[in-house]
Amino acid sequence: MKSKILLVLLFISSFYSTKAQNQKIYFGDLKARHIGPAFMSGRIIDLENHPTNSRIMYVGTAGGGVWKSNDGGVNFNPIFDEYCQSIGSIEIDPNDPDNTIYVGTGEIWTRNSISVGDGLYKSTDGGSNWKKIGFENSERIANIIVNPKNSKEIYVAVLGALWGDSEERGLYKTTDGGITWNKILYTDAKTGCADLAMDPNNPNILYASMWQFRRTGWSFTSGGNTSALYKSIDAGKTWNKIHNGFPEGDLGRLAIAVAPSNTNVLYTVIEAKEDTKKGLYRSDDAGKSWKQLNNDFGITVRPFYFSRIVVDPKNENIVVKGGLFGSISKDGGKTFKSLGYLHPDVHDIVFDVHDSDRMYVGTDGGVYRSLNGGTSMEIIENLPVSQFYHISVDNKTPYNIYGGLQDNGSWFGPSSSPGGINPGDWTSIGAGDGFRVLKHPTKDIVYSEMQGAENIWQIDIKNHKSKTIQPLAEEGYPKFRFNWNAPMAISENQPDRFYIGSQFLHKSEDMGNTWTIISPDLTTNDPNKQQQDSSGGLSKDNSGAENHTTIFTIAESPLDENVIWVGTDDGNVQVTQNGGKTWTNTVKNIKGLPKNTWCYHIEASNFNKGTAYAVFDGHTMNDKNPYAYKTTDFGKTWKSIISKDVVGFVRNIQEDYVNENLLFLGTEFGLYITIDGGKNWTKFTKNMPSVAVHFIALQKQTNDLVMGTHGRGIIIIDDISPLREMNTEILKEKVHFFKTKPYTMYETSNFGGHGGETQFVGENPSKQPKIKYYLNKRHTFGKMSLEIQDNEGNVLSELPAGKNKGINIVEWNYSMKLPKIAKGKTFTYGGFSSPNYPAGKYNVVLKKGKNTYKSTIELVYDNTSDLTLKDREFKQNTIMKLYDMNQELAYMVYEMDAIIDYAKENKKSKIVTKLDTLKNTLVITTGDNYVGSSEKQLRELLTDIYSRVIGNYDKPTSTELKNIEKMVKRFQKAKKDYQKIKKKVKFLDKLELKTFKEFIK
Amino acid sequence: MKKLNLSIIALLFLSIFSHAQTTADEVLKNYFENIGGVEKLNSLKSLKMTASLNQGGMEIPVTIYRTKDGKQAVEVSFQGMSFKQGVFDGETLWGTNQMTMKPEKMDKEATENMKLEINDFPDPFLNYKEKGYTVELIGKEDFQGTETFKIKLVTEPTTVDGKKEDSVSYYFFDTENFVPIAIQSEIKSGQAKGMISETLFSDYQEVDGLYFPYSLTMGGVKGQPGAPIKITKIEVNPKIDDAMFAFPKEEVAKPAPPTKK
Repeated sequence: MKSKILLVLLFISSFYSTKAQNQKIYFGDLKARHIGPAFMSGRIIDLENHPTNSRIMYVGTAGGGVWKSNDGGVNFNPIFDEYCQSIGSIEIDPNDPDNTIYVGTGEIWTRNSISVGDGLYKSTDGGSNWKKIGFENSERIANIIVNPKNSKEIYVAVLGALWGDSEERGLYKTTDGGITWNKILYTDAKTGCADLAMDPNNPNILYASMWQFRRTGWSFTSGGNTSALYKSIDAGKTWNKIHNGFPEGDLGRLAIAVAPSNTNVLYTVIEAKEDTKKGLYRSDDAGKSWKQLNNDFGITVRPFYFSRIVVDPKNENIVVKGGLFGSISKDGGKTFKSLGYLHPDVHDIVFDVHDSDRMYVGTDGGVYRSLNGGTSMEIIENLPVSQFYHISVDNKTPYNIYGGLQDNGSWFGPSSSPGGINPGDWTSIGAGDGFRVLKHPTKDIVYSEMQGAENIWQIDIKNHKSKTIQPLAEEGYPKFRFNWNAPMAISENQPDRFYIGSQFLHKSEDMGNTWTIISPDLTTNDPNKQQQDSSGGLSKDNSGAENHTTIFTIAESPLDENVIWVGTDDGNVQVTQNGGKTWTNTVKNIKGLPKNTWCYHIEASNFNKGTAYAVFDGHTMNDKNPYAYKTTDFGKTWKSIISKDVVGFVRNIQEDYVNENLLFLGTEFGLYITIDGGKNWTKFTKNMPSVAVHFIALQKQTNDLVMGTHGRGIIIIDDISPLREMNTEILKEKVHFFKTKPYTMYETSNFGGHGGETQFVGENPSKQPKIKYYLNKRHTFGKMSLEIQDNEGNVLSELPAGKNKGINIVEWNYSMKLPKIAKGKTFTYGGFSSPNYPAGKYNVVLKKGKNTYKSTIELVYDNTSDLTLKDREFKQNTIMKLYDMNQELAYMVYEMDAIIDYAKENKKSKIVTKLDTLKNTLVITTGDNYVGSSEKQLRELLTDIYSRVIGNYDKPTSTELKNIEKMVKRFQKAKKDYQKIKKKVKFLDKLELKTFKEFIK
Repeated sequence: MKKLNLSIIALLFLSIFSHAQTTADEVLKNYFENIGGVEKLNSLKSLKMTASLNQGGMEIPVTIYRTKDGKQAVEVSFQGMSFKQGVFDGETLWGTNQMTMKPEKMDKEATENMKLEINDFPDPFLNYKEKGYTVELIGKEDFQGTETFKIKLVTEPTTVDGKKEDSVSYYFFDTENFVPIAIQSEIKSGQAKGMISETLFSDYQEVDGLYFPYSLTMGGVKGQPGAPIKITKIEVNPKIDDAMFAFPKEEVAKPAPPTKK
């Protein structure tokens, strides 16, 4: 019996201990900062404006969530950060437009790099709070329409899965506000609802377009015999095809629009087999018959990307069509001209509800606004929704971030810049779509590329020179197959070494000037996946985006230059241990991984040359599970390091340089962190949206985690070093101080920054010293304080203690208390300066309830400074002399004021006059703080020189010292004058004066 | 043995039962009890708080005055001078211009919105039903590692850029102590419009039988903490002269009398 109980106890305790290990990490004050850039912005999917209030509009982006403007598009704020960032459609309930908003996730312009959605969301408070209300597996929602007369009747057009069959697609309807849904139009598991329109005069009349489409990793097909345009006149009960006048045969993607000003007028854009039959069709009888009006390039180009028609709400003959440049017709669709100069690839257009001259246009490069009916365009410069494929960092101070963007070239920019990171801080280093960008480890050379390695550039960034260096066709080799996002890699062992992957691994020892192939074809070389010439379906689409059976990731071990890892898009994981002489495909050793799953990234470990991490993305095979594996024996065995906490397929992994168990995982729905080598993962959410993290870099000097996101630009978590100390032991401590490196007291100027009114400005890191500690429980009741003390226990600064459960970060500005300044009529701005404490070690004392916890923090001088320690001592003494003079003057004026007050009360006007005369030379007694200011007096002159010496990075100059001498003399004279007057004051003992010590306290 | 089991089950049952039954009103009832009781809160007439605001490391001494009839003032002192900001006498909302140091009235919309807060002393939840407010328990939520009750409070609609808008805020009550540790609400105007503001509370301490948070942050948005305020002293029911809140007829500080040379 006893033993049984013991067993039970044991069981319970072991149960609890495993539970304790499952503890979530609380990141506390560790937060992400966003640096954009925004000036090239990113792909926009859907624009939605308020039906009556033209100040309010919503922007749905391809990978950057939903943004709301309340001021007609001047400022935007993200309102959907916690959820899937890929947006298909936004709908404002016309019956409750201030509050009820629907967001259908999953973008609908089905390019190769498209993300996935995870359902339909609803807000009832204008976008502050959201609830998912279904369609979990819809993957992409093309349209949502709420009956303008009945909020409970809602239609949802589900385009559905792109990479496989799915029955969760077609048109759905609810009549109870979204509690239950009925599928009211469905063809088959390959055909989705691509567009939906409602007659604004009669909500029972609906038009829906069905589209057969499919992508694989190596092909795209648009069109089939199930694509069709339907009409219902009974609120979706029955549907009829309305093809009278349509071309015969298979159809592709169809767009549909009803003219609000005359609902008999409909427009559709048809993708068909014959070029002559494609294009814009119009019906003037509500769909009974159709006439083809136009098959210009701008109307027929890439239907999967541009099938949107928008009609001016006030004029049925003004029609705008999405397209490469966007097209507008003012004659009912007969002729078109391009929209004004803007970023190519127009996906959506909305007209202002009151004034059709005002239009908003969503493109691959952000939102544009026109004030003249589309003739000229201005870009909205504060939507940081740029889509990075890849990023890397260098070792400069501040370090730079390099990366390539979807349809927006390649760039580099600084991680911090005076006044914030401005558009002007970014340098363009590549055209087309940008992907991987790598900095030469030692020289000012950068490698960048465009899609399919059509160009790979070697750029001399110092002299602004470039050359193209991609490998060219070679005798004895087949045509090279490069991925759309072709892999490039540099070596940590040989700075001039550079790798590129086609189906072969190409190596150069001279920065890409000469190439050697060091591998056989490392892919499956499956000919069935190499038919890109015939990709596209009804409209041929061979952009190179579907190139397959290619190498996708390359990693040379930092510990051994002969160990190279290669991962391919068709699922091979190859390794060589002899610099490419022989290769082993290790993917067969990975258990639980479906065959041919895209190897998205391999990370060679910093701790052991046989150790590597490989992550796989199966979404192009309709598999959205996360896959991440680790090997410690060159791939002979692989272990899964995914836990059930991870949601979304994996794109990238980053190993810490110090703690092997600290790993960072980039998934389609955000960043995950583990402190136990992958047993448990915690999603990082502090200022970090659920955005697709395509690439992660860890900067070695700063320990900053830098993420290239596909929808929110570059996001940085500054200094992740506290995470290195996190383990189950520390998580149990009440208070744990993290180690910090000595902090530099930077002396850089504050100049810089402009354009913040309308431009996005990237946030700078804080340069202030930080005290970092872990609390295992939030502090709510009772006192908690944090002090900086010197070795004698004197309190130098009282800091606002952080009370979070998890990591707390408290900044210390290492400046002394402000000096007491003499009272005048106005402020003297110099008086708001205070001296810094000198470099050295300081004690940190945290008091929580009855307990005291101690740590230290160290300050060091800026090593870019020329000042010697002696100079610094002299500077500090000079400042403190002025500090003391300020306080002495303050006390003198305080005493004088007391005498004056008493004298006034007791009608001793002679003394008042004398003191007032003197006081007028000591402080400003008239005027204001702006242009009404008066002549500066001793207080103002003294604080001016005081703050000037503090503010200058240099030691005091002779000019300054002479000026100080002058102030000293003036003050001495004033003191003498005052003493003379004071001697004659007979009522000093009547005054209740503070002592000097009390006064300055 | 059997008894023990039963009591454990009963306990378990009880705790499940009590969870299922928790309502916003219960949370508020506990809250009021824990901070001193409804009666005591209702009898509060005025508060004076001495505090320091930490703006980027610089400590700014402030004194905050609030009265039961909705009057309030924040007195800031610098360089021996003091001036007032955010002053409301029940009719006029005013502050001090930093250039001229003269009092200036705030715009009409801000003033009208301020009037809506007259009945919110000392706590908007106190007698919320009589005020026509609604509260709703949204559920339990992990607020940065602390289990909380998230309660939605809807007060009188405010006017924003000429339009009436619902005034909604979310309070996070610590489930252990039943006191709010955070408030979130949508920012209604300016560049940050649409973002979520966040105020944090801690260091609850007792004064004359009432508990107040002695540490808070102001002006932060979700994920980005605002300026910390540390309260050093709270006086309960101090006498405050109405002159403290009144819009001055002349300049705040009189210039020194002219002197003859």
